[in-house]
Amino acid sequence: MGRPSLAVLALVGSCVALDAWVLASARARRSDGRDARSVVRLVGFPDLALSTNARWLRNPSSVEPWAAVSDHPASLDTEPAGAVIGPPTERP
Amino acid sequence: MRLSVSLLEHAFAAVLRRRGRNFAIVVGIALVTALAESVTMLTSALIHEYETGAAVVPDLVVQGLVGGRPALLAPDTLVSIASRPGVASIEPRVWGYLYLPSIEANVTIVGLAGSIAQDARILEGRLPRAHGDAALGRALADSLGMRVGDTMALPIGERWETFRVSGIFRASTAMRTADLALVQVADARHLLGMPDDRVTDLAVRLSTSSEAAPIAREIRTLIPSARVLERDLVTRAYALTFGSRSGLFAMMLLPALAALLLLAWDRLTGLGEEERREIAVLKLVGWSTRDVMAVRMLESGVVAFVGTSLGFTLAYADVFMLGAPLLRDALFGWSHLVPALELTPEVSVVDLALLLGSIVVPFVFVSVIPAFLAAMRDPLDGWRAS
Repeated sequence: MGRPSLAVLALVGSCVALDAWVLASARARRSDGRDARSVVRLVGFPDLALSTNARWLRNPSSVEPWAAVSDHPASLDTEPAGAVIGPPTERP
Repeated sequence: MRLSVSLLEHAFAAVLRRRGRNFAIVVGIALVTALAESVTMLTSALIHEYETGAAVVPDLVVQGLVGGRPALLAPDTLVSIASRPGVASIEPRVWGYLYLPSIEANVTIVGLAGSIAQDARILEGRLPRAHGDAALGRALADSLGMRVGDTMALPIGERWETFRVSGIFRASTAMRTADLALVQVADARHLLGMPDDRVTDLAVRLSTSSEAAPIAREIRTLIPSARVLERDLVTRAYALTFGSRSGLFAMMLLPALAALLLLAWDRLTGLGEEERREIAVLKLVGWSTRDVMAVRMLESGVVAFVGTSLGFTLAYADVFMLGAPLLRDALFGWSHLVPALELTPEVSVVDLALLLGSIVVPFVFVSVIPAFLAAMRDPLDGWRAS
């Protein structure tokens, strides 16, 4: 094989190595979830503390449906994170 | 299709011969793949994170509702079903939110009832055991500049209540405890201004989870104004919520997707002068249409594979090593108390295979069509036309 072919082959090989590294790294970083379960047992709710300043985003599992817009009919959720975390509906 | 070494060599050399164009395509594919895949990786990691904890939440949570808003309940509201077969325990819970003007943030106050075994893996120090003790989330403690053993003051109206920091949750739990202040139930009532004969909600644990639906029906009959949250429904709804909301991010990727489609369109609609001449020459020296197509597929396959692999790696590094700097602001909103976005990767070889299948296969297919059309022409015509 000529030099150009070897260079492309090395490039493809590097990409295979990158993919393998991602998969190996993801596998190595997996946790058994023990800490998460301990915290939920202690605190009592499973919600993630992502957007903590609005109750409908801090504890979506416990808020009433449409809490974000309960102050005024058809009002918009002004919190930017409201576009990502919505209060779950009761009957999916 | 016969793949000899010479075909392979010709295809690889073609990748370098058209290096400018191929480089542009690799960058385009890598960028779009990285953006789309980081949304997918973040969404699946968040859903996984939620589901890990959701497995141990109470089977039913009963809330009071007055005028469509959450209302406090009497702790003995469900005393009549406590002895019903299938009900293991009913735990009154006291929790709520407290605004701290000094750090302009809402803090989640949770009242700790009874004695719970200490887990050193999640907490540095100890759980609140006495009046005036508080265990804080890492982000809250850092924001207030607190360490274990320090004293802090929390506002109750115009007055301030002093608390001793008995413990701080470890950084590994920050995804759930960032804004948490765990105190004794009496302290929680005091901070939240809650009367002694009321609780925030009631957590019902069942001895058999399958009994959840009939018991929830009984509770709704008993207290028509109550809202009963079943664990299974909330877990499913959460996954749907994150799933559908990730579509919003995907929408933002439309311009990038359009750019990629443009590249594919360029490949589909025609070959360059040089490529047409190359195919004509190959046909003239005796290459079959199959050989021409095989070379073309190999060249496109290499370009698409390199682009997709780079995009996949970039997405992984973005979400799980850098903490999703492009997406985290949208997720955290205007919050001041936020955790470090340390998520458990939910990436498997199946995800990679699906990604490669959905990008490399269509790309190869799209690029092979013009080569096929050029190879089907009379080589001399192709030569003259070029």
